[in-house]
This record gives sequence, C-alpha cells and structure tokens, in this order.
Amino acid sequence: MSRISTLGMHQMALAQMQARQSELARTQQQMATGQRLVNGRDDPVAAGIGIALDRAAADHQRLAANANLLSNRLALEETALTSITDRVARLREIALQANSGIQTADTRRAFLAELREHRSALVALGNTSDGQGRYLFGGTQDGDPPFVATGATVSYTGDQTRRQIEVAPGVSVADADPGSEVFQRVRTGNSTVAARAVDGNAGTAVLKTAGFTAATQWDGDDYRIEFAGGNYTVRDGGGAAVASGAFVSGQAIAVAGYQVTLQGAPADGDAFTVGPAPNRDLFAAVDDLIALIQLPDTPGASKAAQQNGFYAAIEDLGAAADRVTDLRAGVGARLATLDTTAAERESQLLSLQTTLSSLRDLDYAEATTRLAMESAALEASHQSFVRIQGLSLFSLLR
Amino acid sequence: MSILATGSSALLAFQRALGTISHNVANASTEGYSRQRVELAARPGQAFGYGFVGAGVETTSIVRLADDFNFARVLDSGAELGRLGSLSGLSARIDTLLSDGATGLSRPWSTFFDATQGVAAQPASAAARQDLLASAQALAGRVRSLDAQFKSMDTEVNARLDAGVRDVNGITAEIARLNAEIVRQQGAGGGQPPNDLLDQRERLVGQLSSTLGVATVLQDDGAMNVFTTGGQSLVVGTRAQPLSTVADPFRPERRVLALQSDAGPVALASGAVGGELGGLLEFRAQVLDPAVSQLGRIASTLTFTVNAQHRQGVDLYGDAGGDFFAPIAVDAGPHALNAGTGALSGALADPAAFTGIDAVLTFDGAGWSAVRRDNGQPVALTGTGTAADPLRVGGVALTVSGAPAAGDRFLLRPASGAAGRMQVAVTDPSRIAAASPLRASAALANDSNAVPGVLTVPDAGVAGVVANHQIVFIDDTTYTVDGGAPQAYDPATGIVGSGWTLSLDGTPVAGDQFSLAPRGPGSSDNGNMRALTALDDARPLEGGQLSLNGALQQLTVSTASVARQAGHALEAQQVVDQQVRSDRDSVSGVNLDEEAANLLRFQQAYQAAAQVISTADTMFQSLLAAVRR
Repeated sequence: MSRISTLGMHQMALAQMQARQSELARTQQQMATGQRLVNGRDDPVAAGIGIALDRAAADHQRLAANANLLSNRLALEETALTSITDRVARLREIALQANSGIQTADTRRAFLAELREHRSALVALGNTSDGQGRYLFGGTQDGDPPFVATGATVSYTGDQTRRQIEVAPGVSVADADPGSEVFQRVRTGNSTVAARAVDGNAGTAVLKTAGFTAATQWDGDDYRIEFAGGNYTVRDGGGAAVASGAFVSGQAIAVAGYQVTLQGAPADGDAFTVGPAPNRDLFAAVDDLIALIQLPDTPGASKAAQQNGFYAAIEDLGAAADRVTDLRAGVGARLATLDTTAAERESQLLSLQTTLSSLRDLDYAEATTRLAMESAALEASHQSFVRIQGLSLFSLLR
Repeated sequence: MSILATGSSALLAFQRALGTISHNVANASTEGYSRQRVELAARPGQAFGYGFVGAGVETTSIVRLADDFNFARVLDSGAELGRLGSLSGLSARIDTLLSDGATGLSRPWSTFFDATQGVAAQPASAAARQDLLASAQALAGRVRSLDAQFKSMDTEVNARLDAGVRDVNGITAEIARLNAEIVRQQGAGGGQPPNDLLDQRERLVGQLSSTLGVATVLQDDGAMNVFTTGGQSLVVGTRAQPLSTVADPFRPERRVLALQSDAGPVALASGAVGGELGGLLEFRAQVLDPAVSQLGRIASTLTFTVNAQHRQGVDLYGDAGGDFFAPIAVDAGPHALNAGTGALSGALADPAAFTGIDAVLTFDGAGWSAVRRDNGQPVALTGTGTAADPLRVGGVALTVSGAPAAGDRFLLRPASGAAGRMQVAVTDPSRIAAASPLRASAALANDSNAVPGVLTVPDAGVAGVVANHQIVFIDDTTYTVDGGAPQAYDPATGIVGSGWTLSLDGTPVAGDQFSLAPRGPGSSDNGNMRALTALDDARPLEGGQLSLNGALQQLTVSTASVARQAGHALEAQQVVDQQVRSDRDSVSGVNLDEEAANLLRFQQAYQAAAQVISTADTMFQSLLAAVRR
C-alpha cells in the first residue's frame, strides 16, 4: 500500500481531467473539420503522401482544364474544316457543271460570282479566329491573320508548328493543324499520281479517265506520253521509251500500273505527263478554275485545253476534299483521344481522391462513438473527483 | 516528583507533535513541501537498586520525510519534461506552419506548376501568363514568409535562451545563498536539519532542473553542489557560477550558451544542457536549422532549374528568355576572428550535388579545405577559388575576393537564408519565355507527307544553335544539314543537328527539304513551357534521385515526425513524471486523513499526559491531606 498525498491526489485528478478534456477537444476539432489529420504530426507519413497526392490531383484537374480548352479548339477546327469541305465540294460541282456539253461561255460566266465568293470565303475560313483573339490556322505564329490575299495570290504568314498540349500525365495531343497543311500542302491528281495535258497541245485529245490498275507497280517516275504519226510513245524520266503503240481514241494507255484514257485526235508533238502529283495551294486551284470559266468558246485545240483544265480542276478539288476529310478524321481521332483520356483522368482523379480521403478524412461513425466514450469518461472523472474530495476525516471531527 | 516530570515531558513532546501536525496541515497544499515528523524517544531511566525507572519522553528531532533517490528522479524527470515541452511545443508550431494549407508551401507550389500548365495550354493568352506571374509571386512570397517565420522562431529561441539564462542565474544565486544559510543554521542547530530551508532549496533545484537539467551532490556540511548534466559546475558550496549567452562566432545574430569562468565565457556544447534550454537548443539544431536549410535548398534549386529552363526559351518579343526568379547568392560569412580581408561569393552550380549542409571552409595559406559544421566530417572541395576555377563544394561554386590569411575560416551556409531572398525577376507577362527557340517547317513543294514533329534543343545558349538551318534529303534515308556530310536517317531518333534534334511525322522521301529558323516575336509556341512544366516531376536533387516535390515532402514529413515523436515522448514523460511525483508524494506528501488521525492520536496522548499531571497532583494532594492536622 502506498501513501497518497492529498495535494498529489488533487493534482492527479486534475491532470486526468485535463487529459480527457484535451482528447475531447481534439475529437471535437476533428468532427468540426471533418478531417482525421489536423496537423502533419498527427500522421507524418500520411501528410507526406498527402502532399504528393494533392499535387497529382491538382495536376489532373489542371490537365482536365487543358483538355477542355483543346477540345474547344479542335471543335472549332472541325467546324471550319466542315465548311471548307462543303465549299470545296461545291467548287467541284461547279467545275463538273461548267465542263458539261450544254454550257456555253455565257452560261459559264454565271458561276463566276459564286466562285469568287467561295474563294474569299475560303480565305476567311483560313483566318478563322479561335475565339481568344488568335487565329486557329496560324500554327504558332497566330497573332495575325495567317492568310493574306495580295492581288491574285494568297500567302501564308503562319508557321508549321503544331502545339502539343498535355491532357493527361504523359499524354499530349496535337493542337489545331497549321493552315499550311489545310490549304497549301494539298496533293493534286489522285493524291499520288497526276496525268496532265502539256500546255500548248495542238490536237483535240482530252483526258477522259485516269487511274491505277495496279498501284503497287507505280514507281514514282515522271512519265511522258508523246504522240507522233498516230502512234504514242511512253517515255520515262530519263527520256527512254518504255512502251509504244498505235493511238486509238478511247483506248487506255498503260503507264507503270497507271492507265490513261484519251479521246479525240492528238496532233503530232502533243504530249501528256504522268508523274507524281505535286502539292498545290487550294487558292491557286480556285484561281485556275476562275480563269478556265472565263475562257471563250473556241472549238479545236483551245476547247480541248479547257476540257483538260476542267478535268485537272475536278481531280485536284477532289484531292483537296479528300485532304480536308483526312484532317477532319485526324481531328476526330484527337477528340476521341481527349474523351478516352478524360475518362481515364477522371477515374484516376477519383482513385486519388479516394486515397486522400482515406488518409485524411474522418470516419464519423468512429468519431461519434469516440466522442460519446470520451465525454462519458470526463463526466465520470468529474463525478468521482467530487465524491473523493468530499471524503475527509477532518469533516468528521466534531 | 518523577511523575510530574514525566507527564510534563510528555505534554511538551505532544505539543511539539501537535505543532508539527498543524505545520503539515498548514502546508498540505504547498508545492514541494515535505511532511515533517517529530521523532520521540524515551528518556533514559534512572537507576535504582531495583532497576531503571523511566523518565518520560523527549523530542530528539523534527525530521523531514524525504528520499534522496526520489529527489534525483524528480530532477531527471523534470529536466526531461522541460526539454520535451519546449521541443514539442516549438516543433508543433513549425509542423502547423508547414502542414496547414493556409501557411504551408504545398498549395502555392501546386498552383505555380498548374499555372505553367495553363501557359503551356494557352501560350499567347495574357491571362494565363499573368496568372503564372501571380502564382510565381505567391509561391516566392510564401517561401519568404515561411523563412521569415523560421527567422522569427530563431529570434524567439534567442530571446528564450536569454530569459532562461536570467532565470537560471537568479536560481543558482538563490541556491548558493540557501546553501550558506543551511550550513549556518545546521551548525547553530547542533546538526539538526533546517527542514523548511531544505524544502525551499529542493524546490529551487527542481525549477533549475526543469530549465537546464542538473545533477546534485550533497556535501557533509549540508551544502548542495549543482552541476549541469554535462558536468559543468553551476553552484559549488556557497558560490554560483553564472551562465550567459554569447554570439556564435560565425553568426553574430545567433546566441549560444556559455558559462562564465575566470578566463571569460566558455561556450557550452549543445549536449551539455537539458531542460527547457536544452530543448530549445535541440529544437534549433534538429528541427529549425534543417527546416531552414531544406526550405532554402528547395528555393535555390527551384530558382536554378526554372531559370535554366526559362533561359532556353523565347518570349513574346522574340527575345531569349532571361531569369525567371532572381538568382540567389550563397551565404558564406567570415569568422569574427579572421585576420585577412578575404570574402567568398558564389551561387548554386550543380543541384545534383547540392546538399544544403553548412560547412566550415578553412584557408591554410595555400589551399582550401572544408568540414561539415555539425560533425566536423571532411567535405569534398575542388578548385582554387578563381573565377575560372571556383571552389566547388556541395554543388556550390565560390570565388574568393580579397586576401584571406592562413587560418581564416568561413561558414558556408548554402541553403540557409536562400529562401528569404526568393523573388520573381520577370515583371512583364510577355517576357515569359514559353516558346522554344527554333521553329521547323517543311518545304511546301516536298513530295512526301512528312511534317516536322518534336524539335529538341538541349541548350539554346550554345553559339550557332539558334540560327537558320537547312535539311535536305538526298535520298529516302540520307540527309544533309546545312550542306554538311550526309547522315543516315533513323525515324526513331529523327534528324540530328549540332545542338538540336528534329523528329518527323511521316516518311520523308528524296528531295524533301526542311528548315529551322529562330523563333520570331509573337509566337504562341509552348515548347519551352512544356519543358518547364516537366520540372515538377524532374529529379534535380541528390544526384538525380529526388524531385523538388519530394524535397518538399521530406521537409513536411521530417518536421512532422520530430513534432510527433516529441509529442509522444512528452506524453510518455508526463506519465513518468506523474509516477515519480506520486512516488515522492508517497514519502513526502501530506495526507490530511493521516494528519487527522495523528491529530487525534496526539490529542488523546496529550489529554492522557495532562491526566498524568492531574494524577500526580491528586497524589500530591492526597499526601498533603494525609499529613494535614
């Protein structure tokens, strides 16, 4: 049995009550804030992990904002590309109509106003704003309108840089395509090969159809079909004859997996080229169409040149439409990537937040029970203290 | 008349006893009071032929019930409680500063890197750029404010040391005075202990122990010698040795404890003291200094890496990027007793080797050497200190100016104080260099569909990198750069130039031409800002093992751990202390019930003794009556 001193007993009871009270205060603070960890010292390791996870969660949220911005810009690009496709399709339609036999020089002139309107509309589409004071198709030099029409030519002042925007940790998606890719680097012909009449042909031979018979045999050389004395000769880039025969109007001439059908009568010295399709400015193609439409009706060689011109314009515009469609597919793919990364990001964010919550947030059921227990303990210590301190032998001495 | 004498001896003795009980009751609530007890002994009997006749009772002594072992335990426990109390209280404050969202670093840190992402997503947006500047200023401001808070805690520690020393000196002087008084009274009292003075001295020594941590040795004459836990004497007999604080020789603003001796103040080693002052010193050395250093290390490294990346870019005016944060110079102060005029200045040069550890650099007349400040271990040091070959120590490059004398010492504090100097250097949002320095383009007449992909420029500062470059494919798999020697094209690595690499999207064919040109003004390219954004995850520290965010975590976790351990140890020590005190109380404490019982006992004994006197009187009266005529 140990002696208990009266002062010590009071002090111990007081210390116990203070300890209970500070526990209660802590539980109360936890319940008021909803946080299990009020300070780092409550759980240093969790606090450290919390910092990393907080940063990751903030990063995910910021990347979501990035993805949102990018998605807006890509949606704008898609709208612009749709308009361009429509315009190019209409231009091709005009070229087809203008090339039909029933049109005369006068009726064709009726298309002129529409063509000019389409041309300026295409320039305006090239200068589409991104809604933030920048130009969508300017690459990274997008502070000024990227397409500037000076006289007959339209020049591009943007650059070819395509920004990469981070939309999920480690995943970057390309921003809008630069205007050079949309309007300038446009393949002609069938996007690989183009068959064209040589300027100054004297005969009436016109291109009717041209296309691959065996695309794998195409070797990319510059071929030339030359006519002399009712015969044709196909020469390769080096000038060597690789095929020849008697020319029959409407009969296909094969050139390295590609075939060309010509109708009419070529004059001696006339020639057609079959070679890799060059890149061409869309605006220049429209300008060519405008020039073709204004040509007068003169039968013979001039008529054949006009028809060959229409053939080229129709084919080029078709290739341009394909090009824009490809770009639209690319934009669609990027938008789809944004959607999938958004789903991934959200599930990652959710799991981050769940982890953070399990690290930091209070389990209210547990806290409520604890609060009840701690307040019961404090109450009991109050009552027992009052009871014990009332016990004194002195109070019984009369 | 022996009955009367015996009875009166008993009356006197029980009066003493009752007096002592009343003294105990009166001091039942006096802190540090030890209960007293009257020691009674039977007086030696008187020899008669038939034996010895008892001669009553006498008070031999009034003893104080105290146990020296318990006292030593109280001292130890009080010292530990004091040490843990100040350590835990102050570390908890630092922990709260760092872990609270409103004062900690992690939120503005996160906001800053979010803002870099914002500029990367909208490089030309004035709002995004302004936001980056604002968040950088908020980050630098928070770093400075944390550093200022740390500094004010350092000042507080200094002030508390000063106040503690004044306390200690007051107490030791009082103990010395009490020693003199106790020795005198004990001599005058014929060796009887002056109980209440002893209690008073014990209480003072207890206070001293909780402030400083002491050990005691009791002398035969009753004086108590008091020593620090490190063994330096504070009170010897009647002489007190005053403590003082002196300035740290390398850092005049920092106070260290010293013992006044005849030869002048002698600085106390940090382990030599315990108690509250020991806790303060421990807090300063184990928590505050590392936190200041780590914060400075983070601030310096962030400044260094962000600046290095920012300089790689091009701003909206088309100019090369400058410093984003103001460069932070390294603090290398001379020792107060240096004889030469040498001074050191420098800056962070290599984050991977940057430890932030304080080191003492010594000039031996020809070369330099360095040791760690805290444990004296040598630190690797190279270089001679000239601008061309600076001293390189712990990732820092230092140049020497003036003429140091042999034996001159400098304290290099590469990280401490750096945080207080963190500032954003860029004020114009357009000066944020978000764009990469070169832009690539493919010639429009190219036959292939290849377009420029990612252009990497590791160091735009190298002469000749930021210039026009022309790439020509002479066949499908071979290219030349600026008309140089043909190089084989590998789609995985791309086109490799001198100081840059360009990857291509698509397959190039013979005749394709690509060109690089310096980025002009007004570009909304985000190449450099993307690289800057990646610094969040980069690992520049610890030889490329530790990211800045990791260092930030370390800072929080280490202070939180110390605060937690100190808090737990404090709780445990409180339990121990309670135990020690109840042990002491079980011997020395006053129990009122016990006193009440004793009161009754001695009251009754006193009444009985009075009855003895009365009986003696009756006997005497009977005798008188018997002989009365």
